[in-house]
Amino acid sequence: MELRIRDLSKTYANGVHALRDITLTIPRGMFGLLGPNGAGKSTLMRTIATLQEPDTGTIHLGDIDVVRDKDRVRETLGYLPQEFGVYPRVTAERLLEHFAVLKGITDRRARREVVDALLHQVNLYEVRKKKLGGYSGGMKQRFGVAVALLGDPKLLIVDEPTAGLDPAERVRFLNLLSELGENSVVILSTHIVEDVSELCTRMAIIDRGRILLEAEPLRAVAALQGRIWRRIVPRAELPAVEREHAVISTRLLSGRTVVHVHADASPGAGFEAVEANLEDVYFSTMAGHVSPDAEAALEVGR
Amino acid sequence: MKTWEVFRFEIGYQGRRVSTWLFFVVLLGLVYRMATEGYTDNARSSGYVFNGPFPIASVTLLGSMMALLVPAALAGDAAARDVQTRMHPLFYSTPAGKTAYLGGRFLAAFALTAAILLAVPLGLLLAAYVPGVDAELMGPFRPTAYLGPYLFLALPNAFVATALLFALAALSRRAMASYGGSVLLFILSVFALQFVAVKLGRWTLAKLLDPFGLTLVSEMARTFTPAEKSTRLIALEGALLSNRLLWLGIALGVLALTYVRFRFAHPAAAGGRWGRGARRARAGVLDPLADAAPARPGGGAAALGAPIAVPRTARTFGSATRVRQMLTVAWESFRLIVTSWGGLGLAFLTVLIVLTGPMWMEHLGVPLFPTTARFTSFIGHSGEIVWMIVPLLTVHYAGELVWRERESGLDEIADAAPVPDWVALVGRCLGLCLVFVALQALMMAASVVVQARLGYDRFEIGLYARILFGLQLADLLLFALLAVAVHVVVDQKYAGHVVLLVVYALMQFGPSLGAGHALLVYGSDPGWAYSDMRGFGPFLAPFVWFKLYWAAWALLLAVAAKLLWVRGTEGGVRLRLHQARRRFTRPAAGAAAVAAGLILVLGGFVFYNTNVLNDHRTVEDGLARRAEYERRYGRYEGVPQPRLAGTRLHVEIHPRRREVEIQGSYHLVNAGAAAIESMHLATRPGVETGAVTFDRPAARVLADEALGHRIYRLLAPLQPGDSLRLGFRVRFAPRGFPSGEIDPAVAANGTFFRNHDWLPAIGYQPGREIAGAGARRLHRLPPRRAVRSLEDSAARHDMAGAEQIAFEAVIGTDAGQTAVAPGRLRRAWSEGGRRYFHYVTDVPIRNDVAFFSAAYAVREARWSPSTGRGRPVDIQVLHHPGHAWNAERMVHGVRASLDYHTRRFGPYPHGQIRLVEEPGEDISLHAFPVNISFREGFAIMRPELDPREIDFPFAVVAHEVAHQWWGNQLLPADVEGAPLLTESLAWYSALGVVEEAHGPEHLRRLLAMMREAYLSPRARASLPLLRATDRFIAYRKGPFAMYALREYVGAERVNAVLRRMIEAHGAGTPPLPTSLDLYRELRAVTPDSLHYLLTDLFEANTYWELSTEKAVAAPAATGAWRVTLDVAARKVTVDTAGVETEAPMNDLVEIGVFASAADGGRGEALYRRMHRVRPGRQRITVTVPRKPARAGIDPRSLLIDVKGDDNVVEVTGP
Repeated sequence: MELRIRDLSKTYANGVHALRDITLTIPRGMFGLLGPNGAGKSTLMRTIATLQEPDTGTIHLGDIDVVRDKDRVRETLGYLPQEFGVYPRVTAERLLEHFAVLKGITDRRARREVVDALLHQVNLYEVRKKKLGGYSGGMKQRFGVAVALLGDPKLLIVDEPTAGLDPAERVRFLNLLSELGENSVVILSTHIVEDVSELCTRMAIIDRGRILLEAEPLRAVAALQGRIWRRIVPRAELPAVEREHAVISTRLLSGRTVVHVHADASPGAGFEAVEANLEDVYFSTMAGHVSPDAEAALEVGR
Repeated sequence: MKTWEVFRFEIGYQGRRVSTWLFFVVLLGLVYRMATEGYTDNARSSGYVFNGPFPIASVTLLGSMMALLVPAALAGDAAARDVQTRMHPLFYSTPAGKTAYLGGRFLAAFALTAAILLAVPLGLLLAAYVPGVDAELMGPFRPTAYLGPYLFLALPNAFVATALLFALAALSRRAMASYGGSVLLFILSVFALQFVAVKLGRWTLAKLLDPFGLTLVSEMARTFTPAEKSTRLIALEGALLSNRLLWLGIALGVLALTYVRFRFAHPAAAGGRWGRGARRARAGVLDPLADAAPARPGGGAAALGAPIAVPRTARTFGSATRVRQMLTVAWESFRLIVTSWGGLGLAFLTVLIVLTGPMWMEHLGVPLFPTTARFTSFIGHSGEIVWMIVPLLTVHYAGELVWRERESGLDEIADAAPVPDWVALVGRCLGLCLVFVALQALMMAASVVVQARLGYDRFEIGLYARILFGLQLADLLLFALLAVAVHVVVDQKYAGHVVLLVVYALMQFGPSLGAGHALLVYGSDPGWAYSDMRGFGPFLAPFVWFKLYWAAWALLLAVAAKLLWVRGTEGGVRLRLHQARRRFTRPAAGAAAVAAGLILVLGGFVFYNTNVLNDHRTVEDGLARRAEYERRYGRYEGVPQPRLAGTRLHVEIHPRRREVEIQGSYHLVNAGAAAIESMHLATRPGVETGAVTFDRPAARVLADEALGHRIYRLLAPLQPGDSLRLGFRVRFAPRGFPSGEIDPAVAANGTFFRNHDWLPAIGYQPGREIAGAGARRLHRLPPRRAVRSLEDSAARHDMAGAEQIAFEAVIGTDAGQTAVAPGRLRRAWSEGGRRYFHYVTDVPIRNDVAFFSAAYAVREARWSPSTGRGRPVDIQVLHHPGHAWNAERMVHGVRASLDYHTRRFGPYPHGQIRLVEEPGEDISLHAFPVNISFREGFAIMRPELDPREIDFPFAVVAHEVAHQWWGNQLLPADVEGAPLLTESLAWYSALGVVEEAHGPEHLRRLLAMMREAYLSPRARASLPLLRATDRFIAYRKGPFAMYALREYVGAERVNAVLRRMIEAHGAGTPPLPTSLDLYRELRAVTPDSLHYLLTDLFEANTYWELSTEKAVAAPAATGAWRVTLDVAARKVTVDTAGVETEAPMNDLVEIGVFASAADGGRGEALYRRMHRVRPGRQRITVTVPRKPARAGIDPRSLLIDVKGDDNVVEVTGP
């Protein structure tokens, strides 16, 4: 069972080209979709989650046409949106049960078992009888996960799930997700590079509606080894450095400016070679130094 | 299964909310109150039982319409809650399916609405049995009487409303849409009744158009007899069935549409289809940013390149800043409202007024001049269109303004800004007030446009300013401040809405439901009226005092709102009270103290005026007083009293001080056979009657000023034939102002009062007794006949109210005004800076006297009789200087009427006749002896623009002049059937005047207009003409009967009868005539073959049902044509219970055939002859000389037929 996206495009009514000819193949396992804000990630997620229609293109989950046959997809779909609200005056248990019925778990005993198990799994069992209005942001997120996991979905779409979580919650959440990737297609859409590097076996980088890179994270990092150089630069010299070299990222380290530069060989004095990581892959791709064509030369088995 | 789960969940969710239960309780309370207060009285006075099917249906309908808020809230929430709480991605990505999701939610909303509507029959049952209604008003308990209206009215209404509102909310994904929809549905229903049915007369269409059955029930109210109202069950048949089927079909169709169009999809992005981006995209221009190379270098280095320096500016926080902040908030609030759909609604309202305004400037179809006074009363505090929309919008937008930040999530940012609480509050209030100012400006513009459209250019901008921006704006602003305050205090938006709606309902209906004093009902005032003559008269000052008092309350509410203003993220009552205590700084305390002080001072002043200087009386007090009067003095009814033979008065009117002093004497005669020992005098409320003097020794035995009755003992009894002089002083000098019903009798310009209002009367006054049977029972009074029986021979000698008096008066008034009283103006002079007028009647007049004083313009004319009978008459029309349009027309009418009546019936006894304008906006006239009063509404008629080409004012003037014969000379006894001799004869002879002056075609058009009274639904049950007293009979059925008789028997004969009546009874001496006298005379001149017609018209309540099914013409020999008519005929008599009995029929009915007319009107009559007509279908064949166009039975509608338009049809070929 894999998710095949072909030539997907969507333009919003206000003129924004959200998706341009997206083509992806996503097998079972954790797939990371990386991109900055406004790249089109949420639009793509919503389209796969049957909540939006593309202008052109097709999506197939196995043999189900996602665009045409929404109801069949929904039977095996779990969707955790980037932003969602809850009914403040209902308890978590009741609302989860309600969704369980809506997702087709009609047998009462089976439903009880599934609901209890899920509440345990997301660590909300203790507070299951409290009203959702009193939940913190992290608890609401976990509730959303429980809803998404109802019915053992074959397609799980998680949109920016760790954006509002504290470090401990984030770790717990990623642990939860990692258990799920075995038998379903799990698409994790995020702008946090660490999430993808920790969890995902495959990834794509999307910006302004276009896929810039589709690769396995490890291989992409390997391909960049030896090409990333680092230097500490005084603030005033920064513009000059940017003019001369292919700076891919600038950051502050203990108050000093550090630049990462992409070059096949050492760009000069003051630069030291640095071990590339996925973040460098991301910035390099965004800066245009890693293109799909160049990648094809290094990639094996696409 | 899923549907059941969705349904169950929804019921649980909505059912747990407080608002759901609140709806039930409030509806229960409202129904209970409405039933006990309103319908108990209705049942009493109209004679049906309290728990009859009709009153139950009535209350059920009103309850289900008032409860439209319930489906709006429930359906709106059920449909749009997911999008508004942003839970929709979770729901939409489940395989729930539209059937389960939409169906379950809708059914839950409907089920809950239906359950809440059970509060209506429950409330009715409670009202009937707890604490119980007077046993006489209760009929047997019939469950079907309660079940029927619930099943056929409430439940379908709930379904239609829930379906439509659910669809609106689901498709627009906003709960607000369902509230707006409920308002629209309500307006549609009211529009169907008030405009399509009542105004246009299209009842069948209205009954279908109306989604809730309001028109149906209104029609029932008009056509059902009291017996039917008590017993006839509401059944699903006829118009009710059609309406229910139609609207259920519409509801189902809308639900199907919702099902088809609803998508489990993310709501569309903002910008819509018409944004700039969309246009560019369509033009093929690509987004330039997208195709540019990715920005280099990556990672945001460019942003760090050269640091951008944000300029530093100075900030001030003084009071000037506060003011500017407040103005900014105000402008933002104003913009929010004006650019939303509410602003659109108000603009639409203005356009509606511009478009439909001309239609309302008419009376009975006669166009009126759109004077500013009349138009503002149309759109103003009594205007029907505006009265509901504006308060609803106020409530809604007050909530929006108060909740805006919290709902959009901006509240934490806004609350942390350096803006004081009061700035936020006052700014919002100011913004809301600005909206109303803008609204009034739009109203003024719309009104001026309408006036200009109708060719009227006296715009009177100053008056618009005073009414729209003064009086009405005060009300709007007070309510707006209340709305904001309530929304601040009640920390829940929809609960605030409910509270405000309840408060508004109490404000509107409280006074009529007996809520007590005006000082307790927010925003109330004693009422006001403007007329061109009187201006605002005595209404303005009390209005201002009351409004200032309420403004003080509004100030206090504003302080409370400021203290309880929600700021920060915590709510809760205790916390807010704690915060309020901390916010209670010096300024706040000062403002509160000022407000409290003003309330006490102004409230005290108002209370002093309304309760100390005047009597505060509720309706119950008034009834109790009348009952007590009857109990104490009823025994003196019929005690012989001297009869009034002459009145002499000296009247001093002080218009600017609103005072009148009258010094008068009565000349009384003992016209009976026994000596009179005691005199009973009835004094009038509202005036001070001073000590009474007699020209012979008399002692005062009793003076009951509270009930207005005095008894004097004549130490030397008054012998038969002797006369007595009684002197009195009366003073009208109102102090302060009452809480309701200000008496506008005396004003700076436009004074009018009658002798019955202020002058003492002789003897016990039966008119003061309580009339309604139910009210009488309540006060334990014996039942009394409403009108005396026709056979009551004592009534024929009862001269109370029928005295003929010699009248003389000297009236003094301000310089610049003319005072008018009956009689000839013997002398007018100036003295001490005032004008005096001395009037003396030429011959005795009926004791119905009116006094006028105003700055009149006078149109004078003179009429001389053409024949030798009668004397010349001076005609005067005294009118307000601005109302000169119809003066000439009135003179013409008077002349024609004097001419006609003198020649046919006898001379006019006086040497003068006057038409005098009386202040007041409505259209009514009264024919006092010599002087005919007309209200200002009559002066602004515009018959020259009437599309029907009728001169209605001319006819009305002719009718009022006719009253100088019928009513002022021929004075009937006060028994059943009396109106036949006054109103019916007056209209009958007026029809003759119209025919003589304008021709038979004009008369035919006038009769068609008068016949329209038949077309509005009406119960046919009534007493026959000889006994009837109600308005419809007197003003329409009576004249038509007389006219029919004239056409059948001959005008000469009928008029001769009338002349004999005048000759025999015109002197006004007892025995007074009755309808039987007229009937006897008519019978004498009617041929035997037509006696059946007399019986049908006068003795029985007969309705004919005549119609022509078709008329076929074929050429006959020698150019003639043979016309064959298929007609149907039926005659029924209807008794007072409404039971119809078919009567045998062999009547003479006119058959008419007409040629075609060039202008589309009635063509020349080719054939007109009487035929004998039997009941049922029959064929009648006639021959006419030329080709016929139209033919029919009773083409002139002489015989009284409710459906008059099916008498004549187009002639078809063979």
